[in-house]
Amino acid sequence: MTRFFRLLRKDLQASLLPLGFLSGIALIVMLFTRVRISMGSWPNEAALAAVSLPLVFLPLWLLWQSFQTLRIEWREDTVYTLLVLPLPGWKVMLAKLAAICLEYTILLAVTAVGALIFFAPQVQQAMENLPSLLWVIRNFSLVYLFSLGVLASMVIFVQLAFVVSKMVGRVQGLIAIWTLFLSSWFVEVLGALMEPLFRWIPVLSLDRLFRLDELRAGIVFELNLASEIGSWLGILALFVLTGVLFEHFVEVSG
Amino acid sequence: MSKAIQALQIRNLRKKYSKVEALKGVDLTLPQGEIWALLGPNGSGKSTLLKCVVGLVKADGGEIEIFGDSPSRRRKGQIAFVPEVENLYRWMTVRQAVDFTAAFYADWDGARVAGLLEFMGLDQNKKVSSLSKGMRARLKLVLALARKAPLLLLDEPFSGIDPASRDRIVEGIVRQFKSEEQSMIISTHAVGDTEQLFDGVVFLDEGTINLQGNAEDLRNQYGKSINDLFKEVFA
Repeated sequence: MTRFFRLLRKDLQASLLPLGFLSGIALIVMLFTRVRISMGSWPNEAALAAVSLPLVFLPLWLLWQSFQTLRIEWREDTVYTLLVLPLPGWKVMLAKLAAICLEYTILLAVTAVGALIFFAPQVQQAMENLPSLLWVIRNFSLVYLFSLGVLASMVIFVQLAFVVSKMVGRVQGLIAIWTLFLSSWFVEVLGALMEPLFRWIPVLSLDRLFRLDELRAGIVFELNLASEIGSWLGILALFVLTGVLFEHFVEVSG
Repeated sequence: MSKAIQALQIRNLRKKYSKVEALKGVDLTLPQGEIWALLGPNGSGKSTLLKCVVGLVKADGGEIEIFGDSPSRRRKGQIAFVPEVENLYRWMTVRQAVDFTAAFYADWDGARVAGLLEFMGLDQNKKVSSLSKGMRARLKLVLALARKAPLLLLDEPFSGIDPASRDRIVEGIVRQFKSEEQSMIISTHAVGDTEQLFDGVVFLDEGTINLQGNAEDLRNQYGKSINDLFKEVFA
């Protein structure tokens, strides 16, 4: 595990500068919005926009980052170091995936702390309309875990596409796009094919999971886990495949 | 009678990059405890040969045996490879680069590394990006020589290096090499200053071996130094 954590630390350290920069930008946007609201130039609702902006933008940036972190290894020839390590390929990929997930968590935490500092009155007002602090923590944790799962899946697609593209000498961009397309299709088909196997799992009602009845909301969403499990297994298989390809089939340029 | 296990045995190794045939059936044997030079001009296939051994490129055909075994993850961990390219993380300090490498190899010798850094004149607090090319080459070598790896493969360790750094690197290799435990291949086209290092030489040209053998035998057979022989073969 020490080796894995050393890789993880390396990937996190390499991202420190952009991570700090983005955190700074998010905080500055919130501060600026706070000042405008205080001056009466912008309405109170602008606070919501200032908090939402990083939340929308960050996952996109992190997906780009998952591509960049691999591209830089090739561009700066440090992939020579990674490929000669006596490690299974999946550990190298898992370290990169874990780094992205940690960066996401850090940026979310910065946004949350920024919101609490700069928009305390608005947050307090919103809290008054919600059942309890425990309810907020519980539901935010669920949303966080769900979004983290979606982000991790997307990162796995990107990693596979990148590694496959490095197995060919030409049209690497085209190969990467096709790999993205095919792998997402594979996951979708596998989910549908395996759905009958998992029908015994009860459909999860989101209003119960989130306890929306406490808000007296009438909207009911349902999460059909039976069709999701096959897709998750497919994503896991793609991750394992990426590790194998990275360790045994990828070449540095001649 | 049991056959002696060689450090490295390569048979009929072939590699093609799209239209270029980089290796055309190379056979090579590196006896244990020896330093061999892989000599040849640019594009002769030296780097490709070493990359095939460490798994950075996949051979199209032929066999590679490392201490009698096929290449594997375990065998990979027994090779200290110095690539021709600069494979260091530039944002790291020298200390971080050392710690990072140390974490992955069981044969890392912590006691050896401090002496090597001092000998090579490397400041542990300096960032890799702030080092000169010669100093970065020294650091790459430190990261390889600080290991008690049974097989060392150095790809062009003197390429583009000033004479002072080159001498230091040669001296570093001589000081650290343990012939009873280690074997080494150095690919280079700078033969002059390094000739005294080699027990054997391989002349590689356009993916084919022109000449190979024990360095002393070749000197006696041709009546000239390896450097002169190199000039003659690749003139």
